[in-house]
Amino acid sequence: MSLAGKRILIAKPGLDGHDVGAKIIALALRDAGAEVIYTGLRKSPQYIARVAVEEDVDAVGLSILSGSHVDLVRDTVRHLREAQGGNIKIFVGGTIPQEDVEPLMTSGAAGVFNASQRIEDVVAEVGRLLDDA
Amino acid sequence: MPESQAGVLDATARRELAREISRLARASAQSVLRAAPVPMVPPARRIGFTGPPGVGKSTLVGKLVERRAAQGVSVGVLAIDPASPYSKGAILGDRIRMDQASGDPRVFMRSVSSRDSQDGMCNNVADILCAMEAHHFDELVLETVGVGQAEHAVKALVDTVVLLMQPETGDAIQALKAGILEVADIIVVSKSDLHGAPKMREVLASTVRFGAQRAVGWTVPVLGVSVETGKGLDELEAALTAHAAWVAANRTAAETQARRACYRVQDLVLRRLDDQLSALSPADYERPVAELYQRVLEGLRQT
Amino acid sequence: MNKPHTELAEPNQPSLKTPSGIEAPEVATADMVHPEGIGAPGEYPFTRGIFDNGYRGRLWTFRQYSGFGSAEETNERYKFLINQGQTGLSVALDLPTQCGYDPTDPMASSEVGKVGVPIATLADAEILFDGLDLAKLSTSFTINGTAAIIYAMYLAVADKRGIPRAKLTGTIQNDILKEYVARGTWIFPVRPSMRLIADSVMYSNEQTPRFNPISIAGAHVRDAGCTAVEEMAYTLANAFAYVDELVRRGGDPNAFAKRLSFFFYVHMDFFEEICKFRAARRYWAKQLKARYGVTDDKALMFRFGVVCGGSSLTAEQPYNNIVRVGIENMAAVFGGAQSIFTCAFDEAFQIPTETSAEIALRTQQIVAYESGISRTVDPLGGSYYVEWLTDRMEEEMEKVMAEIDEYGGTVQAIEDGYLQMRIARRALERKLDTDKGDRVVVGVNHFRHEEERNELGEVFRMNPEAVKTVVERYHHVKATRDNAAVERTLAALAAAAATDDVNLMPLLVDCCHAYATVGEMVDTLKREWGEFEEPVRL
Repeated sequence: MSLAGKRILIAKPGLDGHDVGAKIIALALRDAGAEVIYTGLRKSPQYIARVAVEEDVDAVGLSILSGSHVDLVRDTVRHLREAQGGNIKIFVGGTIPQEDVEPLMTSGAAGVFNASQRIEDVVAEVGRLLDDA
Repeated sequence: MPESQAGVLDATARRELAREISRLARASAQSVLRAAPVPMVPPARRIGFTGPPGVGKSTLVGKLVERRAAQGVSVGVLAIDPASPYSKGAILGDRIRMDQASGDPRVFMRSVSSRDSQDGMCNNVADILCAMEAHHFDELVLETVGVGQAEHAVKALVDTVVLLMQPETGDAIQALKAGILEVADIIVVSKSDLHGAPKMREVLASTVRFGAQRAVGWTVPVLGVSVETGKGLDELEAALTAHAAWVAANRTAAETQARRACYRVQDLVLRRLDDQLSALSPADYERPVAELYQRVLEGLRQT
Repeated sequence: MNKPHTELAEPNQPSLKTPSGIEAPEVATADMVHPEGIGAPGEYPFTRGIFDNGYRGRLWTFRQYSGFGSAEETNERYKFLINQGQTGLSVALDLPTQCGYDPTDPMASSEVGKVGVPIATLADAEILFDGLDLAKLSTSFTINGTAAIIYAMYLAVADKRGIPRAKLTGTIQNDILKEYVARGTWIFPVRPSMRLIADSVMYSNEQTPRFNPISIAGAHVRDAGCTAVEEMAYTLANAFAYVDELVRRGGDPNAFAKRLSFFFYVHMDFFEEICKFRAARRYWAKQLKARYGVTDDKALMFRFGVVCGGSSLTAEQPYNNIVRVGIENMAAVFGGAQSIFTCAFDEAFQIPTETSAEIALRTQQIVAYESGISRTVDPLGGSYYVEWLTDRMEEEMEKVMAEIDEYGGTVQAIEDGYLQMRIARRALERKLDTDKGDRVVVGVNHFRHEEERNELGEVFRMNPEAVKTVVERYHHVKATRDNAAVERTLAALAAAAATDDVNLMPLLVDCCHAYATVGEMVDTLKREWGEFEEPVRL
């Protein structure tokens, strides 16, 4: 799978400090050819939306392990729309219970991933969803 | 500087500029040549920051931009990161180190990958800077990783080149060898709280005293800056102001314009040349050199 | 979404290398064992444990981690756990408290009460410990960035209830270095943070001599993806950085080292886990003696608590986790742990339910009282393989520590993001090994059914009323407290923070007594010290 020419923002919203999953995905996407911007920890949805727009990314990957995913995804979607980045796809990764997947998709996520999925499957899925765009 | 709304972008303008930069960074030489000429706007003050990886450029730029924005100055930042030689992908990591500044409405910040460019710049960097200028920022900051050629490209594209070096590394020797010191208008020894910084400043200062800059009447200041403690930032700002005054007194707008136009032409020609050369197959190289030379020249003519 | 990956073939055979990359012998023989012998339990260098009578004198502490919602709800849960036979409390704090934000701060929104209990002011702490006998219970706090403040809160609760400080027992994690590396609840830059830690350790030694003021943790770097060798090496490197700081501030290592403790994860590779503890215990004692001239046996003892589970648990086939935790629990006992926390089987994806939390505690009770493995001290001591692997683990740890030293020490490596980068790369490696099936995880990359789904009966849900209670109490405290006292105590804190030689702990206790909020205390210190700027290198 090649993501050559794609730009992806990997972001850590909220206060959750477990960033190794986000970094693994950032490295894997880079190795698949994408240009990856990583925000570092503790970013507000508003800040993430602004960076996403300025960096003109194709997708934002949110990594959340604190259990606050429903609120944080909803807020990020809202701020992206306000910043005229409504067409930017949102992916979510972290500890997301199965029953929260549907609500996240409804509130605007294009994909939800968990830690036990293979990296190559995640990268392929991101690529597929970006090609649909 | 008076506080104004110039360079303060609303959501629409921000989105447009971001897309325009993406388009330009991907545009081929031909498409640039076919495009309508970029309308002339009054140029922004342009400052370039360059130096080896890990020297603390982004952190310093972030801090400086934060200070400028707080003074009411609008700033556009373009940070160029190297791409992975394997996947051509890149981690554009500069942004995080400029975090404090990048939420300010007066700041627009963008990272781009150098992709396959030879000189450590991104494609069409001159056009990207013009596109940013069209949004009337007071200042533009260009940040690049120092890889040989990049310094000379930066020199052509900006008014003031700030070169960063770190104490206790081989940076100074490398810089001397590569002649990088020649392009610097201001030299900053970063992490100046580290052991070895004063000595390094001394060595650099005595070297530039006889450098090329001296000949044109500008004495290159060698400053120690510690972003962590903020020490030296005032001096750096003062040096930037002094150099701006020197530029205003010693360089005409036409000279600057000519230098940038020269870089653009050179960049386009070299990229076209690259395309032509990579189109040649191993079999082609069995032909006489003169014949290949003619073929490449003809290829260049077909725009 | 959450598409299961295709079935992998059954693995040919278990790996011949340990997860840290040590080539294991087919058969271990007498000539592979350390010629100098292994010493006796309770004797320097403590390879066989720090007590001569092992667990006969005292069993390890069963310590289950809990805290969620509001102080009221958590207090209720504690009372339940104590009735179930738990002997120590472990307090989980929510992220706003850990990162120094009040519950009304925009940064805290949606995180209040999520991963632990919020403590914003002394009022929350008073309710949290209401009806619990702090003179008898040992209380452990997973807190780092705001550890000194939460410790001050605990002292203030004890003061108000008339409990002598000298009777307090427990632990604050207070290990900021690994926060920069793996857990992320840092607040201030590295160097002032080191000062805050030194202040709290020195104050605690004097005021609460039975309290552990720091628990140097490898658990989080391990969970992030490091090997067991790296877990121990990074942790020991951090520990030496703290010792250096304490010595620089005039601390006597023969005294303060008695109250240093450690905290690790136990993952699944049984013998490597056992031997990492034996190796680190010996190395620590030898280094304290050699580098710092420590002579007191008690100060040379490497005391540690563990978590069984963590990232070795899987969301797939979650009941398998009960078996994993049982095996890890035994490894911890063979390794000589002083305190053990067993994860609930559903912890990989949710806050444990009462049933899963109870099974976790029962696992410890079965290991302790049914298996008989704690009957004889260090029962594996003298095993050719265990002694050989202990030696090899020690060698490998030394190598990793030498690499950090070569870089310029652990503080430099953290400030530059070098250590963080090493961990991220190792994590990617481990993930790719798992994806390929080289590292077997039963139920995940081997032996799984098609279209497997988690069949879980109970899912714990947050009580939305809890957040309201927290915020209401916060406003109430701010409206009714003596604001002049708050301003006075905060100003004293600021003045002391601007110097380098005043211990901040008594000032923080004063702030707590005045009902200053955690956010106010943190903001006061931020104004003096600034905030950590995260270096990102990948």
